[in-house]
Amino acid sequence: MEKDLIERSNYSSEIPVYQIPGGVHPTEHKTQSNSQAIAKLPLADELVINLKGQAGNRTLPVVAIGDKVLKGQVIAESDGVFSSFYHAPSSGLIKAIEQRPIAHPSGLTDLCVVLETDGADKWCELTPAGDPSSLSRQEILSRIFESGIVGLGGASFPSHIKLQRQQGIDSLILNAAECEPYITCDDRLLQEHSEQVLLGAKIVASLYSNNSEPGSELGIIIGIEDNKPKAIDALIQARDKLKFQNIKLAVVPTKYPSGGEKQLIQLVTGKQVPQGGLPADLGIVMHNVATCFAIYEAFYLGKPLIDRLVTLTGEVCLNKGNYRIPIGTPIEHLRKASQVESECTAIMGGPMMGFEILDKQAGIVKASNCIIFKSAQTLTQAAELPCIRCGACMDACPASLLPQQLYWHAKADEFEKTEDYNLFDCIECGACAYVCPSNIPLVQYYRYAKSNIRDQKIEKAKSDKARERHEARLERIERVKREKAEKHKKAAEARRKAAEAAGQTDAKKAAVAAALARVNKKKAQASQETDDNTTNQATDNHSKDESS
Amino acid sequence: MNILSSPFDKKPNSVIELMLWVIGATLPGLLVLVYFFGIGVIVNVIIASITALACEALILKLRNRPVLPILFDGSALLTAWLIGLALPPLLPWWMTVVGTAFAIIFAKHVYGGLGNNLFNPAMVAYVLLLISFPVQMTAWLPPVELAQNPVGVADTFAYIFTGANLSGQDLNYARLGVDGFTMATPLDHVKTELSQGFRIAEINQNPMLAGFSGVGWFWVNLAFLVGGLVLMIRKVIGWQLPAGALLGIFLTSFLFYGIDTDHYLSPLFHTFAGATMLGAFFIATDPVTASTTPKGRWIFGFGIGAITIIIRTFGGYPDAIAFAVLIMNMAVPMIDYYTRPKVYGHNKINSANKSEAKHAE
Repeated sequence: MEKDLIERSNYSSEIPVYQIPGGVHPTEHKTQSNSQAIAKLPLADELVINLKGQAGNRTLPVVAIGDKVLKGQVIAESDGVFSSFYHAPSSGLIKAIEQRPIAHPSGLTDLCVVLETDGADKWCELTPAGDPSSLSRQEILSRIFESGIVGLGGASFPSHIKLQRQQGIDSLILNAAECEPYITCDDRLLQEHSEQVLLGAKIVASLYSNNSEPGSELGIIIGIEDNKPKAIDALIQARDKLKFQNIKLAVVPTKYPSGGEKQLIQLVTGKQVPQGGLPADLGIVMHNVATCFAIYEAFYLGKPLIDRLVTLTGEVCLNKGNYRIPIGTPIEHLRKASQVESECTAIMGGPMMGFEILDKQAGIVKASNCIIFKSAQTLTQAAELPCIRCGACMDACPASLLPQQLYWHAKADEFEKTEDYNLFDCIECGACAYVCPSNIPLVQYYRYAKSNIRDQKIEKAKSDKARERHEARLERIERVKREKAEKHKKAAEARRKAAEAAGQTDAKKAAVAAALARVNKKKAQASQETDDNTTNQATDNHSKDESS
Repeated sequence: MNILSSPFDKKPNSVIELMLWVIGATLPGLLVLVYFFGIGVIVNVIIASITALACEALILKLRNRPVLPILFDGSALLTAWLIGLALPPLLPWWMTVVGTAFAIIFAKHVYGGLGNNLFNPAMVAYVLLLISFPVQMTAWLPPVELAQNPVGVADTFAYIFTGANLSGQDLNYARLGVDGFTMATPLDHVKTELSQGFRIAEINQNPMLAGFSGVGWFWVNLAFLVGGLVLMIRKVIGWQLPAGALLGIFLTSFLFYGIDTDHYLSPLFHTFAGATMLGAFFIATDPVTASTTPKGRWIFGFGIGAITIIIRTFGGYPDAIAFAVLIMNMAVPMIDYYTRPKVYGHNKINSANKSEAKHAE
């Protein structure tokens, strides 16, 4: 069995470190890749750049097939709020804009820009931002936005959105925990580029500077696991050199998943992000160190995010190490370049939360921090045995959930009960499945339940809407009927009143007529019988007028 | 296509390993039992194991389940092992068979097999036998050093399979102590004597109660404690369960002992008497039938300890681990429901906000 030379930093944390419940200690496999300097691999002939951000929304291509592009040129723009920009990772020709297999757990295809590299790797004109301290908040945010910077820790959430909220933020936490086994790209980045990372962090911190007391700056905490002694040393040196005295190092014990956003916050502050809330609710904003490095490059060098550090590792990988790899480089190219046999399984991300790449033609994305190459034989999943309720999963859960209860209910399709047991607080870290003696793929069950609940909610929303529409329609019909009836009633009423009024006038007129008649009669009597006919005719005409 | 899902790394443990660890950890206790009470214990374990595996195979076949992988997951073997350790050493073989078969077929598979049973199968077997055959089930042998007629290997087999030794003498012959009286277990003896009006100090004069908690029994308990601690350190069992059980036994007996030292046994006696350590470390910790929340494990363990002492003190049975376990098994769903741990992000402030929000609505 391979031995990990476990090296622990004896540097004591500069701020008190709290505890998180649960967690596991998988074999670290880090020494395989963290001792070589960051290197480059030969450029791939073809780059497949998936335009979908991990956060869901897509970007819109602004190049056409046949266009020649320079390295760093914008090739896709954000379509709205939740997406970012894409830039050409190298110079060359836009060969296709089409559906291609992508690096995603689903194994589905998605819209990709295919760039045929010309080997010149020629940059477009870069415009560094000058002194970052002279920039306004808006200028900083738009440069981050236009440089295509997203969270490089794994979620690919567009950074400018995360940074938008200004009110109430009182600390910036840099995530350097890198708790997944095998992955060492952040470790290596800090060993070689700590200064740049801190300069990038400073830019982020300056977004909140007016929150703090005048003269003081936003506090920065770096959360790092104690299995990266060299990175810790490098950070301290860089801090001293740059004289950034408001940066504190929180050295946390090595335990998976200490690098989860919620877990690291709990480790360094003792606070828990409220359910359904954001770190900002606690006055915290967290960024990965690689993101800070990308921000540094965007401001000081004017470089957009076109490549990232990727750890290439795994038992069958002969060229283990960290490489600066252009976004869109096909996994197949990485496999060949790191001399891996073709009959291998590639896992993107760490072994705990990563996923199998089904089609190695897919290009790496901004979230790809690690590719683990394993021989396909060693990766068979053992047969699932009955749950013996041992509770090892509960002891491992960093969110203090009851994984086995969730499992029982998910298995029985009792989704309401899974929600009762707070399914949606599960961060899918996989610690439960890691310790399960019955080899139950617990996280799969949770994903299954979650997607079912989401579907049900969408369905429910749809049917609610349909019902509302139906009810509204019935009500409208009813209302029209009612209004019609009302109208009729009113008209009838009006007629009746009119008729009544008419009746009254008739009576008056009749009375008048009668009176007249009487007068006339008297007159007639007085003037003999000659005028009788004329009086009768006049009364007839009058009554005809009234009734019409 | 078969898509693999994360995690791709796995803690190198498995159900069979856990079961084998538990079985292995009973060995010190088993050896001490053999030392004091003869090889009957081993014969019991073997009879129970064969029965358990045969029943398991039969039922799996009837239920159309894959026989081999489940048969050798170690769970049936462990159940048999615990039954064998709990039974009196010279119990007629067919009683062991009946008890074990009942445990596997009814207590385990009727509920749906491994992981689904509500009651601890080994304790179901024990209680079934205790209620059905009270005389044989309480016929423990005297420890070898106190026996007038120690039982040899050949006689052990003769007793188990024929009910009499090779010379034709029945079990009472084997149970005679050096003082010429039929021996009972220390707990049984104390119970009988108390009921006849003796005080603890007087009862303790009996050579059987020399030592700490009865000749032999102290060492048996100590051996099980050692095995149990190994399991605890190896994290094979949740530490809260045995800790809760021992605390339950100690505190409850301490309460009575504090009231009247003349008529109640000392907490230390209880802690090292009878099946205390076997129960606390090997029976209460059966994962399937125990509580599964951190607080629940404490409550479950403590309940077993407390009920054991109450039955030992006021009930009709000298030892009561089995009853206590079954009673607490029944309470597990409720305990689990009311002891759910507080989930990340659901702290007091949040829930207060929520209830306020609800009121506002």
